[in-house]
Amino acid sequence: MAFNFNWSPLIADTSRARDMLTTALNKSPKPPIIVDDIIVTELNLGTTPPELEILEIGDLAEDRFRGIFKMSYTGDAYLTLKTKVQANPLNTYLSTKPDFASPQPLAAASGLTIPLQITLSDIRLSGFVILVFSKQKGLTLVFRNDPLESLKVSSTFDSIPFVRDYLQKEIEGQLRVLFMEDLPAIIHRLSLRMWSEEYQELETEKRLDSANDTTAPIDPLSTPPQDAIDAFGNPLDEAQIAALSLDPTEVHASFSQKNILRLATLSESQRTLSLFTPGIREAVFRAWANNSERADSGATTPALTVGSLSRIQSTFGSIKSNANSVVSGSSGNETQGTRPSLASNYSAPAGLSLGANRSRAGPVRKRKKRVVNLRKDGGESSGVSTECTNTPLHSTNVSDTASVIPEEREREERECEDMAFPQPPRTPSRAGLRFEGKHGSLDVGEPSRLSVSEREGERSMPAPEGLLPAAPLLPEAPKAGKTKHPQQQKTNTNPKLEPVAEEKPSRRSRPPLSSNRLRTAQQTTSPLLRSLSFDKVSSLSGLSSTSKLPVSPHSSEDGSASQSETTGGILEQAWMLKMAQEIARKVQEEKDRGDGSPTRRPKPRRASKSADGGGGRRLWAGDEELEAPPAYVA
Amino acid sequence: MLDFMDHVQNAFYGASHWNVDNSYGNLTATARALLDFQTPRGLRLHVSSLAAPNFATSYTIGSVGVVDGSVSYLYSSLPLLRSFKSAQLDLRHVINGYRHLGHLRKPDESRWWELWHNGKRVDCRDTLLYGRIFLPQSTLEALYLRRLSPTRQLRISAVSDSSLNNGGTILALLQNDVGKYSTEYMYSTDSALLGVRGLYNFGPDPRLGPTTPVTAREVTEAVQGRFSAGAELYYGMLNKSGGISTGLRFTTLPNHASFPYTMTLTLNPLMGNLSSTYSVKAGQNLALCSRFDFNFYSYESDLQVGCELWRRRSLTDVVWAVKKLRPDWERPAVATDDDVSGILKARLDQEWRIGLLWEGRIKDLLFTLGASLDLKKREQIFRAVGVELQYSS
Repeated sequence: MAFNFNWSPLIADTSRARDMLTTALNKSPKPPIIVDDIIVTELNLGTTPPELEILEIGDLAEDRFRGIFKMSYTGDAYLTLKTKVQANPLNTYLSTKPDFASPQPLAAASGLTIPLQITLSDIRLSGFVILVFSKQKGLTLVFRNDPLESLKVSSTFDSIPFVRDYLQKEIEGQLRVLFMEDLPAIIHRLSLRMWSEEYQELETEKRLDSANDTTAPIDPLSTPPQDAIDAFGNPLDEAQIAALSLDPTEVHASFSQKNILRLATLSESQRTLSLFTPGIREAVFRAWANNSERADSGATTPALTVGSLSRIQSTFGSIKSNANSVVSGSSGNETQGTRPSLASNYSAPAGLSLGANRSRAGPVRKRKKRVVNLRKDGGESSGVSTECTNTPLHSTNVSDTASVIPEEREREERECEDMAFPQPPRTPSRAGLRFEGKHGSLDVGEPSRLSVSEREGERSMPAPEGLLPAAPLLPEAPKAGKTKHPQQQKTNTNPKLEPVAEEKPSRRSRPPLSSNRLRTAQQTTSPLLRSLSFDKVSSLSGLSSTSKLPVSPHSSEDGSASQSETTGGILEQAWMLKMAQEIARKVQEEKDRGDGSPTRRPKPRRASKSADGGGGRRLWAGDEELEAPPAYVA
Repeated sequence: MLDFMDHVQNAFYGASHWNVDNSYGNLTATARALLDFQTPRGLRLHVSSLAAPNFATSYTIGSVGVVDGSVSYLYSSLPLLRSFKSAQLDLRHVINGYRHLGHLRKPDESRWWELWHNGKRVDCRDTLLYGRIFLPQSTLEALYLRRLSPTRQLRISAVSDSSLNNGGTILALLQNDVGKYSTEYMYSTDSALLGVRGLYNFGPDPRLGPTTPVTAREVTEAVQGRFSAGAELYYGMLNKSGGISTGLRFTTLPNHASFPYTMTLTLNPLMGNLSSTYSVKAGQNLALCSRFDFNFYSYESDLQVGCELWRRRSLTDVVWAVKKLRPDWERPAVATDDDVSGILKARLDQEWRIGLLWEGRIKDLLFTLGASLDLKKREQIFRAVGVELQYSS
C-alpha cells in the first residue's frame, strides 16, 4: 500500500489556516507579557513535506481509517507572528501579584509596550501521530508525545539575550500546547469543513461516490449497485453513476423513512378514535378523509369495526377512483364520481398528500363550475339559480372576513347546496357530541374540502391502475358513480340500508326554495356573522348530519354522499326531482320532531346559527361540513 | 475614601509619629490621589468598629454579581484615640486628596521612648497586627507593623492565596526615616525581589537645631517650599530582572504665601518613561491635577487631568446671625466638616475615559458613589458603577 501526499496544494492557500491559528493563539489566556492579540501574519508550510512512517493500521475501510504513524519533519516551514509585548519585566511581574504585598514601586514598573514580530523557523518535529479518519466525523489527528524537537525563534529582541531566551522558552511552551491541544482541534475543524464542501459539490454535480455511501444506510430505497462505485474513488462512468444515483435520490426526497413512518401512524390514527396526528412537514392533510368517503358506501352502525369498513371502502374506492378520476378531469360535472376515489387515497396517503396540496386551487374553481352546471342542467326552480349566483357573492363576502378564502368558498358552495335542499330530521345527541369532539381536536375553524383536494390529487397523480381503465369508462362515468353508491350502501350497511336510501332522494330533491332564498339572503347580509360562526355551524351541521344514523361516527359520510349526488350527473336529476317531494315531506316531519330535541344547542352560537338557517338547513349544512372535514397544515 | 482599616493604620502612624509622606514611594501621593482613585464596583457595605482603643474589627460584604465579603481584625499596642465613628470622624482623614506636606519634624529621641520601672526598662515597641480574610476566595491578608525605633519601622505584609505561586507571598519592608532623608529596604519572597528606595530632602536638616541666631532676613524669607529627590532600585534574583526609577518633587510648605502646589517629575531610565505631574490646591475646596506621561522609546504619551471639589452647604440663611455674633463665639459643631455635603472627584484622560466619584456623609453613613465611563465605546459607556457604604462606631 502506498500513500501519495500532495503537499503543494497545502502551500497554496494558508489564509484559512492562518485565521484559525490566530484564533487558537488568542483563545487561551495569554501571559501578562503579551498585551495585545497575537496575529499570524505569515504562514508558509514550506516545500518539504513531513516524513511519515506507518507503524500500525488499526482500522481500514472505505470511509474510515485509523493508524499510527511516526512523523518527522525537518522542513522549511516558517511562521510569523505579530503582537505587542510589555517590555518591563517588573510590570508583568507585579500585574499578577496582589496589591497588599506588592512593593508598589513608584515608577520602576511603568510600562513600555513594544510591537514584536516573531518568526518561527527551522521547526523540527518528530513524534508519533495517531490518525483517525471517518467520513462522518472528519479527521482526528493526535500527537502521542510532544512532537516539538527544536525551533528557532527570531524576534525583534534578538540583540538582547535575556529577552531572546525568554521568548524562546515562552514560545516553545506555547507551541507544545498548540501541538498537543490546539492543532488537533484545528485540523478536525478544517477536515469537517472540507468534507462538507466536498459533500455539497458532489451533491450538486451528481458525481457523488462516497456521499451515496453515507446516504445508503439511511435510504433503503437507493439502489445497491452504488457499493461498487464507491471504493477509493476509482473512476467509474460518471454518467452511469449519475443515472444510478438520480433515481434513488428522487425516491429519497419523496419517501424518507421518517415520513413513511409518520404517514403510517397518521393512517393508523385515522382508523381509530385516536386524536393523535403526527406532524409531517410541508404537508396539508385533513383528518376526516376516509370517514367522509365511507359515507358514500353508506353509514354503518357503530358496532361495525372501522377497519373492516375502511377495507371495504378502499376496495370500492379504488375501482371508482379509476373511473372517476379521469372523468372528473374531463367533465366538471362529475363530482360524484370522483368523490369515492378518496378511499384509494386512503391506501396510499403519502404520495398523494402532496399532489392534493398542489392542486388545491384548481378543484375549487372546477367545483364551482360544476355546481353551476348541475343546477342549470337540473333545470331547477329559480331558487337554485339564485343559489348559484349567490355563491360568488358569498365567497367575496367571506373573503373579507375569513382567512382561508378557497375553503370558505367551498363551504359557501356547499352551504348553498345544502340550503337548496330540504333538511332531514334532527340529530340525536350522542353522535353529535362525538363529532364535535373530533372536530375540536382538529382545527374546527377551517372547514376542509379534503374530498375535493384529494380528488384533485388523484387526478393529478392518478393511481397506476386507474389510468388505463379510465379512458374507456369516460362516457359511462356519471352512471357508474351513481349506480355504485346505492350498491355500496347496500353491501356495506345492511341494517342502515333503508335510511340511506331515504337520505339520498331527500338531498337530491330541492323543494324548499323559499327557505333557500331566505337563507342565502341572510348569508349575504351578514357575512361577518357567518364567518365568525362558521366553525360552529360546521359542528352543528355535524350534529345534524347524524340525524339519520344516530350512533354512527360515520354519519357525516352521508352528507358527502348526498352532496356528491346532488352535484352529480345530469341523468340523476330526474331521480332527484322525483325524490324532492318526498324530501319536502320529510323535512316537515323532521322539523316538527327535531326542534324539541335536547341536543339542539350544545353551544349558544350554534343555537343562534340554527336560528339563522332554520332547523332543516342546519342539518344539511352539517352534512356538508362533515363531508369536508377541517383541514390543517401540519 | 479610605478603608476603615487603612484609616486606623494611618492613625497608628500618626500616634507613633511616623511620617508616611517622607518616603520615595509616596513621592507622587497627591497626583495618585487625584488621578488614580478607585471607582467602586457594585454594592459594598462596610460595618466597622473600634471596640476598644486597641482593637478594631471590620466586616465587609459586597456584591458584584457574586456575593463576597471579608472579615478583618486589627490590634494596635498603641491606643488610638482618634474618633472613628462615621458620624464624627474628620472627613479629611478618610478622603485622599491634595496632600499638604508640613515642615519636616525632628525624629524623636530614642530615650523618649524609654520607660523605666524599678530600674528596668518596661517599655515595648509599638506594634500593629492586622488580619483580613476574604471569604469565598479564602484569601488571607496579614500585616505586622512594628516601630523598631523612632526612626525605624518594620512592615511585613503577607498574602496567602491558593491561586498564587507557592501559595502566597511575603513582603518585608524596613523603613528608616530621619527627616532629612529616608531609606527603605525590601524583600519579597516572590521571585526573591530585592528593593531599595531612598528619598533626600534638600534644605535644612531638621535634626540640627538652630545653633546660630536667626537673622531677621531668615524670618522674613522663610523657606516656603521643599525640594526632594529620590530613587528606587529593584532586582529580582530569580527572574534576573530589575527596575529603576528616579524622581523629583517640589512642594510648597504651609507657610507658602500663595496657593499650595506640588510638582513631581519621575523618570524610568530603563523603560524610557517620563512622567510629570502638577497639582494645585486652587482654593479651600478645589484641587486640580494634571499628569503627562511620555515614553521616549516608544513615543507613547498620555495626559490625564483630575480635580477634587469639596462641596459645602451654604450658610446664607444664618450668615447674618453669624455676623452678629462676637468673633470668639464658637459654634457647637458636631464635626469640623459638618457643612461638607460631598466631595466630587473626577478624572479624564486622553482616551476619553472618565472616572467620577462622589463621596460624603449622610447622617451616620459614609457613602461613595462611583462610575467609570468610556466615551469611546459607545455601546458600553458605563464601565463600572458602584456604591459603597461605611458605617463605623
